Amino acid sequence: MELNVLRLLEKTADRFNNKTAYSDSDESLSFSEVTECAKRIGSALAEKIPARCPVAVMSGRRVHTPVVFLGIVYAGCFYAPMDSTQPKARLMDILSVLQPKILIADEEGMKTARELGFEGEILSAEELAGHEIDQPALDERARYACADDPLYVIFTSGSTGKPKGVITSMMSLMCYISAYLEVMKIDDSDVLGNQSPLDYIAAVRDIYVPIFTGASMFIIPKQCFMMPAELFRVMNERKITAVGWSVSVFTIAVKLKAFEGEKPEYLKKVCFSGSVMPCSALRVWQKELPECRFVNQYGPTECTASCTYHEVDGVVEEGDTLPIGRPYRNYRVFLLDDDNKPVKTGEQGEICVSGPILALGYYNNKELTDSSFIQHPLNGAYNELIYKTGDYGVFDESGVLWFKGRKDRQIKHLGHRVELSEIENAALRLESIRECCAMYLKEKELIYLFYTGTATVKEAAVHFRGILPGFMVPRKLIQLEELPRLANGKTDMRTLADMMK
Amino acid sequence: MKEQLLELLEEIRPDVDFENEKQLITDGVLDSFDIVSMVTAMNDEFDIEIEVGNLVPDNFNSIEGMMALIEKLQDED
Repeated sequence: MELNVLRLLEKTADRFNNKTAYSDSDESLSFSEVTECAKRIGSALAEKIPARCPVAVMSGRRVHTPVVFLGIVYAGCFYAPMDSTQPKARLMDILSVLQPKILIADEEGMKTARELGFEGEILSAEELAGHEIDQPALDERARYACADDPLYVIFTSGSTGKPKGVITSMMSLMCYISAYLEVMKIDDSDVLGNQSPLDYIAAVRDIYVPIFTGASMFIIPKQCFMMPAELFRVMNERKITAVGWSVSVFTIAVKLKAFEGEKPEYLKKVCFSGSVMPCSALRVWQKELPECRFVNQYGPTECTASCTYHEVDGVVEEGDTLPIGRPYRNYRVFLLDDDNKPVKTGEQGEICVSGPILALGYYNNKELTDSSFIQHPLNGAYNELIYKTGDYGVFDESGVLWFKGRKDRQIKHLGHRVELSEIENAALRLESIRECCAMYLKEKELIYLFYTGTATVKEAAVHFRGILPGFMVPRKLIQLEELPRLANGKTDMRTLADMMK
Repeated sequence: MKEQLLELLEEIRPDVDFENEKQLITDGVLDSFDIVSMVTAMNDEFDIEIEVGNLVPDNFNSIEGMMALIEKLQDED
């Protein structure tokens, strides 16, 4: 197996040179253009910073963004994508964790980066791409690159209110994409349709699958996902054959009766992930697209986007539950009970993962890294780190894993991981909110916030939009005189749960 | 009808100025989850059936667009 993604990119560029690698509504870049442009950016960066430094990237959903990522990798460094449309407070939190010397931005991102008062150097992606290729400098960086060097840092919701930066190595990414391709059987005849924002974990497939296979990837405009007729029209126009999307896209399309218009007729390979797929929605997709293969994927960012997969066999019935399946190649997946003891077949335990796909930890957060990535409690013979996902699961007799819910207050909402306590911490930053409790109504995919204090619902909503990403903002804000209490003084969540019904 | 519609929209997104915002879709003010909530609420409130073909930016970019859509669908009945 090739261990370096840049060598793979060069091989693919040799083979497919003028074929489109990435395209969006306005532009497209061939494999050789991607390689050349990434080398230019890498050469420019190599003059400025040593290898293995973080570089923040604030660039939109455009073809040039993955090229900037690859340019950073050419310099032997690693990238941290940031969505410049997110609230400033959150972007500043990310920068304070990452402390990058350099931030690369597109035109839009430049404005935001300056407004944030970023103290490092802000570089324009366009200018970097105009730099001469310095092959000796790139060769030098390549010669000393190691397979376990960090490749990217992706930020997710953290329970203390500060986002956590999950660091993934190049080797982990190589393992995951290889394993994913083995399951999805994507090749150079495929056209991928990207849905995920490029700063989000799901985008790694859309960015790297073309490099592995020679497939093309089209960045579908965000507004298509609100207007399903437009989505299917664009998919047909671009002849999209393979997608890896969050579950919410499939359920929203069904709710909006997307299939009453034209169908995505080229679509053959579908992977969905991010939350539990309701079989009522999957059934509609299966019936409308009988030729299409559907794969359920499960796994956290800490294990390079995934752990297990399950290929759906036959059309599901409405009340069915899908298993999360079997481990991908190079993933060790097992269950432990609360005392870190093994769990028998058919019994519930916490899903744990080890292997070369494990993240390097949380950036600049040793304490949290050490408590989250621990020595395998059953391995006293040699070093083996594991990650405890906080999810419960059960293995059945045939070795298939079933998801059984969360251990803590983390939820999956519209494909994103959300810590309810992060929402509460954000709420309490508004002085006119005294106490609060965030809850999730799963059936309706609604985040509730019950609060006390003088803030009006409108004030609270505006406050949240200013500090939290849109998907984390509670949709239902309920002002109460007092929060209901249990005898021990804790918030009575059961009473609150009844109030959501 | 405008008051009724505004009330319904403000329930869904209390932070958005529906009276003055004219690029709700194109500027990414709303997301797909808002659209699902809005379509469901508008169907119930105005006794209409918004179809997939009606889901185009022009019909949802502004309160005027939404009112025009509702009137059109009510007339069709």
